[in-house]
Amino acid sequence: MNKRMLKAAIGLIVLAGLLVVPRFVESPYALHMMILLFLSVSQGQSWNILGGYAGQYSVGHAAYFGVGAYTTMMLMYSKQVAPWVGVWAGVAAVIAVALVIGSICFRLRGPYFVLASIAVAEIMRLSAINLTTLTNGAEGILVTEIPAFKIGERVVTDFLTKVPFYYIGLFLALLTLAIAYWVQHSKLGYYFQAIREDQDAAHSLGIHISVYKNIGLVISAVLTSLAGSFYGIYVGFVDPPTVLGLDVSVQIMLICIIGGMGTIWGPVLGSLLLVPLSEALRSNMITEGLVKIGLVSADSKVGLFLKENLAHAHVLIYGILVVLVILFMPDGLMGFVKKLASRRKREAA
Amino acid sequence: MPILEIKNVSKFFGGLAANSDVSFSMEQGMIMGLIGPNGAGKTTLFNCITGYYPPSKGEVIFNGRRMNGLQPDKVCKLGMVRTWQKVRPLAKLSVVDNVMVGALVRTISLKTARDMAMEQLKVVRMEHRADFLAGGLPIGERKKLEVARALATQPKLLLLDEVMGGLNPAESDEIIQLILDIKAQGLTQMVIEHDMKAIMRISDRIVVLTSGEKLTEGTPQEVVSNQDVIDAYLGESHA
Repeated sequence: MNKRMLKAAIGLIVLAGLLVVPRFVESPYALHMMILLFLSVSQGQSWNILGGYAGQYSVGHAAYFGVGAYTTMMLMYSKQVAPWVGVWAGVAAVIAVALVIGSICFRLRGPYFVLASIAVAEIMRLSAINLTTLTNGAEGILVTEIPAFKIGERVVTDFLTKVPFYYIGLFLALLTLAIAYWVQHSKLGYYFQAIREDQDAAHSLGIHISVYKNIGLVISAVLTSLAGSFYGIYVGFVDPPTVLGLDVSVQIMLICIIGGMGTIWGPVLGSLLLVPLSEALRSNMITEGLVKIGLVSADSKVGLFLKENLAHAHVLIYGILVVLVILFMPDGLMGFVKKLASRRKREAA
Repeated sequence: MPILEIKNVSKFFGGLAANSDVSFSMEQGMIMGLIGPNGAGKTTLFNCITGYYPPSKGEVIFNGRRMNGLQPDKVCKLGMVRTWQKVRPLAKLSVVDNVMVGALVRTISLKTARDMAMEQLKVVRMEHRADFLAGGLPIGERKKLEVARALATQPKLLLLDEVMGGLNPAESDEIIQLILDIKAQGLTQMVIEHDMKAIMRISDRIVVLTSGEKLTEGTPQEVVSNQDVIDAYLGESHA
């Protein structure tokens, strides 16, 4: 009981901290990083519901991310629909897509489902490139002005700074976490895990396999779509590779796989590792850091080499990281943390 | 009215008849033993009854309702549940969670399901294992977990596929007692078993299958004294 209260207290303190961050932090860059973190948490956790709990490894979640992002942006661009309305159009579109995909792809098991899910995302990407009248094709859609959000006459926010996005992102991340928590502690979660562990056994215990797989897919797809819409509005630009590319799908999976599948905190840990890492690699922060602590001199051959190449190598380093995690932490960071904790407990006993 | 009627059930895989023209019926509360040499079609018959295969011909009638073409989940909801010869624990879930998955077919509340699960764990004497991971159990307990999980779905008919396979004599005795306890509660059971001594002890009636066909049916005494059964099991030279 004491432990639970401690956990709740820590949770409340962290939450309160997150709520007041924009009051004290003015740096747009810091806020930007936090927003990316929230986005990553909600992406990873959305995937977790289908991939981690129900064991259906979709490598095509870009389809839902992209359809959400595109629907909201297209409506804003061509019909001047406000994004907080467009988001729901995106959700509706994604539910339709998910049900079509689910009813076809869930006939397949294991690697065949994975392949089908990739194919679906590719179909979406190619459609976005070729349906130029709707999507602007490869040029993408750029919307820089978001109408102010009003309740009655009062302007709540005009979206001119990053602060409103910070709060929307935080809300989105908390919402996905809450839904994952609810799933885990409900009949749904038990049924998802039963399907993951043994589909035939689950079937014999009265679980309608395709119904529950589709429920998992729809929950996961809707949350991914919300993340996609948020991304589109925040960045102000979508084009096929950035929201529908295969690497988007892979990125979404990796957050969860590296963090720990089928756990509430796995995607959070995964995001805490991957978002700063990918940012540090991209912005050459690592090279600068190495120079600063004196490990490498800026003018030496190694220093120049790193400066030149490290930023471009972030995909490679990502890949190496995945291999390391899978080799040494098959249950992800979260599984590793749990193992350490239980080992300490055993040693103490 | 019989609780289960198998009427002329046949199952073909291509040209191979895994079951052909099998008929028998079961009364409420009885234990039906299903025996036969390897490849006689016992598990295929289980699969036809529980919806994993649609029978190629014939009918399965459960509580007066025609079951052909129903999926396993529907079959379970109607009150017929099977265990697996090759056990299928939900390895990364705890023992009690495994049983809860079974109980959840009758309730949406996790609390009710947990109570129901603990009750069934008591029946198989595994309460002390509730929080263990199912994947880490030894074979004897995995078999009992299968039974507890099936019982948690609150069936009217329980089909046990070789629950004693691979167990030592002490463990087998425990399972025999368990099956008799379940019978005492009024539950109807169909049991596939290779261990003749065990099947003789628990069955009210026995159906013998060979090469997919029903060879004979009767009380345990009738079956062991049947010349065809002796031939099928021991070969004609021993007769």
